[in-house]
Amino acid sequence: MSFFFFFLFAAILIAASLAVVYARNPLYNVLALVVTIFALSCLFVTLEAFFVGMILLLVYAGAVLVFFLFVVICLNLNTAGRQQASPWLFQGLGTLAGMLFAGSFALALMSFFKAQAIPASNLRGTIEAVGKILFTDYLLPFEMTSLLLLVAVFGIVSLAQGALSTGKDEAL
Amino acid sequence: MFPVIDWSLISLEVLMAIILVGLVVADIVLPKNTDRDWIGTFSFIALFGLILFWLTQGHLNGTTFNSMFVMDPLAWFFKGFFLIVMVFIFAMTQEFFKTLGERRNEFYLLLWLALLGMCFMASSSDFLVLFISIEILTISLYVMTAYLKSDKLSIEAGMKYLILGSLSAGFMLYGISFLYGTTRSTHFDIIANFAAGHPMSAMALFALVLIFTAVAFKTAAVPFHLWVADVYQGAPTPVTALLSVGSKAAGFVVLIRLFFLVFKAWHPQWSLVFAVLSAITMTYGNLVALFQTNIKRLLGYSSVAHAGYLLMGAAAGTALGAAGINFYLLGYLFTNLAAFMVIVIFSIAAKSDTIADYAGLARRSGLLAWGLLLALVSLAGIPPLAGFFGKFILLMAVIKSGYVWLALIAAANIVISFYYYLLIAKRVYVDAPLNDTPIAVPAGMQLLLVLAMAGIIIIGIFQGPFFAAASHAAAIIP
Repeated sequence: MSFFFFFLFAAILIAASLAVVYARNPLYNVLALVVTIFALSCLFVTLEAFFVGMILLLVYAGAVLVFFLFVVICLNLNTAGRQQASPWLFQGLGTLAGMLFAGSFALALMSFFKAQAIPASNLRGTIEAVGKILFTDYLLPFEMTSLLLLVAVFGIVSLAQGALSTGKDEAL
Repeated sequence: MFPVIDWSLISLEVLMAIILVGLVVADIVLPKNTDRDWIGTFSFIALFGLILFWLTQGHLNGTTFNSMFVMDPLAWFFKGFFLIVMVFIFAMTQEFFKTLGERRNEFYLLLWLALLGMCFMASSSDFLVLFISIEILTISLYVMTAYLKSDKLSIEAGMKYLILGSLSAGFMLYGISFLYGTTRSTHFDIIANFAAGHPMSAMALFALVLIFTAVAFKTAAVPFHLWVADVYQGAPTPVTALLSVGSKAAGFVVLIRLFFLVFKAWHPQWSLVFAVLSAITMTYGNLVALFQTNIKRLLGYSSVAHAGYLLMGAAAGTALGAAGINFYLLGYLFTNLAAFMVIVIFSIAAKSDTIADYAGLARRSGLLAWGLLLALVSLAGIPPLAGFFGKFILLMAVIKSGYVWLALIAAANIVISFYYYLLIAKRVYVDAPLNDTPIAVPAGMQLLLVLAMAGIIIIGIFQGPFFAAASHAAAIIP
C-alpha cells in the first residue's frame, strides 16, 4: 500500500517540479512549488518521518511560500519581458548538462541497487525521537544553527538599513 | 544518552561565541553618536587575546561532541591562520569604513561570524557540521559582499555570489545525501573506514564529484571560478581580501581533511583529476590575468591561478603535498594581505582600482610602493621570498608523486605570471605619476603593512620553523 502511495506522490512531485520550472507566470511557479512541497511532505510521512513532514508543510507551504506569493503579487512581475538573449544556446547547453547529470545519476543508482538493499530503519520520526537525537547525538550541529540564524539576522538588519554613501557613485 | 563533552577542545570557538555575544550587547548599549570605534577596538583586543589562547592549544588532539568536532594539529594550524588573517582584515575594515561612517559595527559582527564559520570548518569531523559551518561562512560573505548598497558593482557581486554559492551548497547537500546512502553515515571516521574496506562505487563517485564541486567553488578552482572576477571587483576590498585568503584557506583545509584523510583509500583514483584540474586552473588564471585593467580583478584571476598551484599538493596526495599546501598558504597570507592593504589605502586616497592609476605610486608613497612590489614579486615566485619556497615545495611534492608533466606546466605558468605582476611593478616605479599628491598611510596600517612585508621576507629566508609548523599540521596524514 505504501508502495502505491510512494509512486503516486513521487509522480505528483515530479509533475509539480516541472511546472515550477516551465510555467510562464510567476504566480503559477509559486503555486506549483506549494504542490511540490505538499507532495514532498507526503513522501516524508510515508517514510514515517512524521515530524519532518509536518514541519515542511507548516513552515514551507504555510509560511515561506505564502510570503513568496505576496511578494510576487506585490511586485506585479511582467511576464512578457522575460525573453532571454540567446534562448537556444542556453536551452541547448542546459539540456546537455541536465542529460549528463541524469546519466551519471542513473549509473550511480544502478551500481547502488546491484550492491545492496537498504535495511528498513526502526526509527520513527516522531517529535520525541527527533528531539532525543537532536539534543544528544546531534547537539553540536543543532547549536551551530543558532549561529547561522544570527548571521541571517545581522544580514537582514544591515542590508535593510539605509544605503551607504560610498562616494564612488559619481565615478561609476 | 547525553554525550560527554570535552570543553577544552572546543574552547576557542566557545570563547569566540561569547565575545560575539558580548559585542552584540555592546553594540546595543554603547552610545551611537561617538566617533570612537568601540567595537573595532574591542575586536582587536579580543583577537590578540584569542591568539595568545590559541598558542596554548597546540598539544590538543581529540574529538568531542559525539566525535563531530575534531581538534588536531591540522585544525590548530588553520585556526591560527584564520586568527592572523582576521587581524589584518579588521584593520583594513577600520580603514575602509572610516570614509563610509555608519553601519560599520554590523560589519564587524559579520566578520566575527565568518571567523567562527572558518574555525568550525577546520574542526568539523561530520558532514552535517561541515555543511553548517560552510553556510555560516558563506552567508556572512554574501551579506558583506553586497554591503555597499549604493554601489551597483557591490550589489551585482553579492547577487552573483549568492546565486552561484547557493547552487554549490545544493550540490554539496546532494553529494552528502548520496554519500550517506552509500556509507550509512555522515561521520568522517565511519566513512573513512568504509572507504578503506570498499572499492569506490559509481554512487560514491557521484557523491564525491558533487562534494568536490562545492569545495572547488570555495577555493576558486576552474571550472567553478565563474564568480571570482566580478565578486572580487565588486565586494568591499576587505571582503575581497578575506575571500582570497581566508575563504580559500578554509576550502583547502576541508579539501585536505576530505581527500587526504577521509577518502584516503580512494585517492589514487582521484589523483589524476586533481592534476588535470590543477593544470587547467593555473593556466586559465594566468592567461586571463594578462588582460586585466582593474587591480582587484587581476588579483582575482591571480587567486584562481594560485588555487591551481595549491591543487598540485592535492594531486600529490602525500603528507609532503599537504605540508606544501599549508606552507604555501602561510606565505600567501602575508603576500596577498600586503597587496590588499596597499589597495585599500590607495583606493581611499585615489578613489580608483584601475591599474593605470597606480602609475608613479613610488613617488607618492614609498611604503605603499615597496609593499606592493614585495607582494607582487612574492606572488610571482621570485626567490628569496615566501612565494618562491611555497611553489618550490609544491613542485617537489608533485614530482615525487610522478607528475613531472604537471610540474613543467606549473613552471611555464610561473613564467607567464611574471609578465603581469612585473608590469604593475614597472607602472609603480618607472611610469610618471598622473597625480603628484603624496598618499598618507595611517600609523596602524603602516605597522601592519611592515609586519606583512616582514612576514614575506622572513618566511622566504628562514623557512625552517614555518615549514616545520606546516609539516606538523600535515603529520596527521598517514
